[in-house]
Amino acid sequence: MDHIAIQADDFSLQQEYDRLRASRPGAIVTFSGLVRDFNRNHDPAGEPVQALQLQHYPGMTEKLVAGMVAEARQRWALQGVIVIHRVGELQPGDQIVLVAVSAAHRAEAFAAAAFLMDYLKTRATLWKQVSIGGRREWVEAYDTDRLAAARWQEGAERERNGDS
Amino acid sequence: MTLRILFFGPLGDVAGCERIDMPFEPGLSTIADLRDRLGRDNAPLARALAEPQVMVALNQQLVDWDCNVRQGDEIAFLPPVTGG
Repeated sequence: MDHIAIQADDFSLQQEYDRLRASRPGAIVTFSGLVRDFNRNHDPAGEPVQALQLQHYPGMTEKLVAGMVAEARQRWALQGVIVIHRVGELQPGDQIVLVAVSAAHRAEAFAAAAFLMDYLKTRATLWKQVSIGGRREWVEAYDTDRLAAARWQEGAERERNGDS
Repeated sequence: MTLRILFFGPLGDVAGCERIDMPFEPGLSTIADLRDRLGRDNAPLARALAEPQVMVALNQQLVDWDCNVRQGDEIAFLPPVTGG
């Protein structure tokens, strides 16, 4: 059972957890991301983020996320996968993203949840804009996120090359 | 029939809009041609679209710059993504 949604509405962690629990897995891993008070590009002592705008490419984002979920299912034995990403205007502290994965055992669920978050950050057609002091600024992509996603590619190449 | 061109993230600011519908011109063969055409009257946009991290989607599929464009196509220019 998979559920993928790009939506303006908030989500209920409990509701999504219960949705996965219904198929009686042995493990459920959930990750929820929240809007930070401060942009990482800025001095923590600087001006607070007033709001965050999430832009996306409707249709393409859903297709890309579905592709990520399909790839996760090829890599690990999973039961259910839920990916919810919010778009539109959000405030600091708001829930912005949910990845929830159920499996028979925890290792697959942990790995798939980390993989999906790394791929969401680097491959889903979503762009953040912050409002700070009345100005709007696009958030820049982080090398740390690209490196985190690249490790899954390296792992796949090692497997194809017969290394362990 | 026209081409629908979409600019996401900071590219929309540089282009001055998020969407352009432009008539298909016979001289346009590839997406790289279209990129050059769009940058002809807008030097900052030409520079922004030439950034190596910018990707392009044709009808919502990521493609290479040498991919051909046809009437009615939707071409989206995608700067590095920052979701999650």
